[in-house]
Amino acid sequence: MFCDDNSYMAPLHLAGRLIMENGGETYRVEETITRMGRAFGFTEVESFAVPSGIFISYRKSDGSIETAVKRVQRKGTDLTRVDAVNAVSRRMEAEQLSCEEVMALLREIEARPPKITKLGLVAAVALSSAGWAIMFGGGVRDSITAFCVAFLGQAIAFALDKAGMRSFVSTLLGSFLGTLLPMLINQLGGGLTVDATVAACLMPMLPGLAMTNAVQDTLRGDMVSGISSATSAVLTASMIAGGALIGTTVFNLLTGGGLL
Amino acid sequence: MMELTLQLLLKLVSSFVGTLGFAIFMHAPKRAWLPASAVGGVAYALYWALQQFSLSEPLAIFVAALLGSLLGQLLARRMQMIATIFILLAMIPLVPGLGLYRCMHLLAQEMYSAGADAGVRAMVDIVMIALGIAVGSFTFRLFVRPAVPGKGAAK
Repeated sequence: MFCDDNSYMAPLHLAGRLIMENGGETYRVEETITRMGRAFGFTEVESFAVPSGIFISYRKSDGSIETAVKRVQRKGTDLTRVDAVNAVSRRMEAEQLSCEEVMALLREIEARPPKITKLGLVAAVALSSAGWAIMFGGGVRDSITAFCVAFLGQAIAFALDKAGMRSFVSTLLGSFLGTLLPMLINQLGGGLTVDATVAACLMPMLPGLAMTNAVQDTLRGDMVSGISSATSAVLTASMIAGGALIGTTVFNLLTGGGLL
Repeated sequence: MMELTLQLLLKLVSSFVGTLGFAIFMHAPKRAWLPASAVGGVAYALYWALQQFSLSEPLAIFVAALLGSLLGQLLARRMQMIATIFILLAMIPLVPGLGLYRCMHLLAQEMYSAGADAGVRAMVDIVMIALGIAVGSFTFRLFVRPAVPGKGAAK
């Protein structure tokens, strides 16, 4: 044991941050931190997580309490990382790991490059949209259109993300394209089921999951997390509706103006 | 009947493909891709089939979410992974993101009563899904022994 009582905060925070950043639930952050703290041998460990920050405190062997706060930001969803951090905390329950060993394991998870390239991710989104188009009652042509539009939308979203744009800009633009393009293609004789195609194109952006998580958090008694996820879900839905409204308006201007 | 079966198969396959795309996009562990997508497809197919038998929308979505949750927990236990992976992905075809969007879209066009209607419907579906997941995990915990001793009472 080379760690003194103060250095246990770093692995606890890193684990919490990794779970939160990669889309894990707030209760999982709290549960994992408490489990790790117990495994380190602290009897009194408390953690409180909300989507924008993590609070941890534990009682040291000299009786004083160590507390620290960390700001975090949700980045995206990487379930492999969440699962890996969870596995580390489980392993700590089973065998004695030192502070350095845990830190090394977590750093390795953080540094591990994603297995799928950006192009692969774009293709995955396009594939899923192609599936949704059929699920929403569309045909083969809807499916192909949804594939292409979703591919384009996600590629633009990644490009904007790389340029440091806030995520709502790409949501706005994505829903604009996802509404306008299927309507235009239909107008030009594509013969689409417009509803199904538009729905399929918007599906990757829609905040249904965030909303479901919000209700689950609330049911569990995590009111702050619940309200904060619900707020962000409503904001995303508004952005998509805004983009779709602009898309519809542009379409009406184009067709009403006799251009098409 | 023949046509219904065919349609059911189509719903199953299309929601499977849709969920698979999400599984890849959400960086789910590779060996979870196919099982998780299968749960998503089966849950959605059940939801669709129940609706064909004129079960009410909220009830159909509750039963489908319950099945998705149970299957997800079982798979998570068998494959030694967190249940979130399977449950999250299984709910994707069921979640009424489209309803939320439709609500906002109608409200933006000043169609307030239609917008409120769509919003309330979406909200009911969402609550039903959350309840389905919760009841699923509760049932699972009742009947299946916790994997790690002493872990059963934890959330």
